[in-house]
Amino acid sequence: MAGEASFLVDEFLEALVAQLDRTQDALAFKAVNRPLTYAIKDFNLQLQVFVDLDGEGNVRLRSSGPNEVGASTMTIAFTSITRPMIEENTVSLAATRAPSLAEAGFKPAERKRLERLGVSNTAQLRRLGTSTGSSVVSRLTEIPVDRLRAAFHFGQPQVTAVEPVASPPPVPAPSPTPPVLGGGGLPQLIRLTPDTSHIHVLGTALGSEDAEPVIRLNGVSVAASEADWDRIVVPVPRDLVSGMLEVELPDGATSRYQLVRDVAQANGEPVAAGRWAPEGE
Amino acid sequence: MRWNSLADTLVQLVQSIVPPEGTGLVVTEAELDVPLEVNVGAGSQGLVVLAQPPHSRWKSGFLLPTHMSRISIVVENGDGG
Repeated sequence: MAGEASFLVDEFLEALVAQLDRTQDALAFKAVNRPLTYAIKDFNLQLQVFVDLDGEGNVRLRSSGPNEVGASTMTIAFTSITRPMIEENTVSLAATRAPSLAEAGFKPAERKRLERLGVSNTAQLRRLGTSTGSSVVSRLTEIPVDRLRAAFHFGQPQVTAVEPVASPPPVPAPSPTPPVLGGGGLPQLIRLTPDTSHIHVLGTALGSEDAEPVIRLNGVSVAASEADWDRIVVPVPRDLVSGMLEVELPDGATSRYQLVRDVAQANGEPVAAGRWAPEGE
Repeated sequence: MRWNSLADTLVQLVQSIVPPEGTGLVVTEAELDVPLEVNVGAGSQGLVVLAQPPHSRWKSGFLLPTHMSRISIVVENGDGG
């Protein structure tokens, strides 16, 4: 920290953590060939710095130079922690994948005011708005209520597509595009190949830690085998010939899909078992 | 002046407490209070913290100030026999 340059506190801490990680990695490599090795348990650094505040309200550190008096002492202490401690004290990955405040259209000054409330993306904004009310958030941040409400909807869970997934090895020839059974709320038809074992429900904000979509197959709840921010993997029973897949989002909106499994002929060509098979074939 | 990264300096400090082979001694814990000259460079991945013990014991009006560090080191079981 020599010289005139100043740094954001969080950037400096990240750089410090990167160095400590490198140290622990190097010491861990030595453990491979040695019966005993050493690890750093605690690291404590007393920095002599000048604390500045830039025009955007960010705290910046500048090291004291030669013969410069009046520096503050900033003591930074690191300790080694276990994986459960990391998981307890870290924001979930799903939450960090929500659309950012910039993507939701907030200006830098507005983002700064929201970040002071601990909000760095639309999922966190929606959670804060749900618990305190958008008018309170508006009063604290001086952002109009209607803009906040629009941002709440920006990162809301939604389903964009449903794809059947065959268990390996994959089917060599892809099935023709399934016809959509009209509009007006009729369920979309999804054709399953004979070896389809899973269905991918694609969308955004699906794997939220607060509330995950409810998935039902023929009216019976199905546990997802994987839930990510943009994808939910739903297992499909091998003996399922047809059925109704329902995806109910936390806000109550429900998407319905009619599943129809093709049956394999002797020549290996799949034939649709459903009622939508073109006549004459 | 050539700077070492903080990681390299810490690894060297940890290595310094390892007793010579064949002495039968094992250091189980160590605590080092070390003054460090600290600098920050710009790397391809962002900031890089550079740190090393002061290169002079003299206090002068033109040398960089030092920052005190405390390093607690513990022994752990390795995989080697």
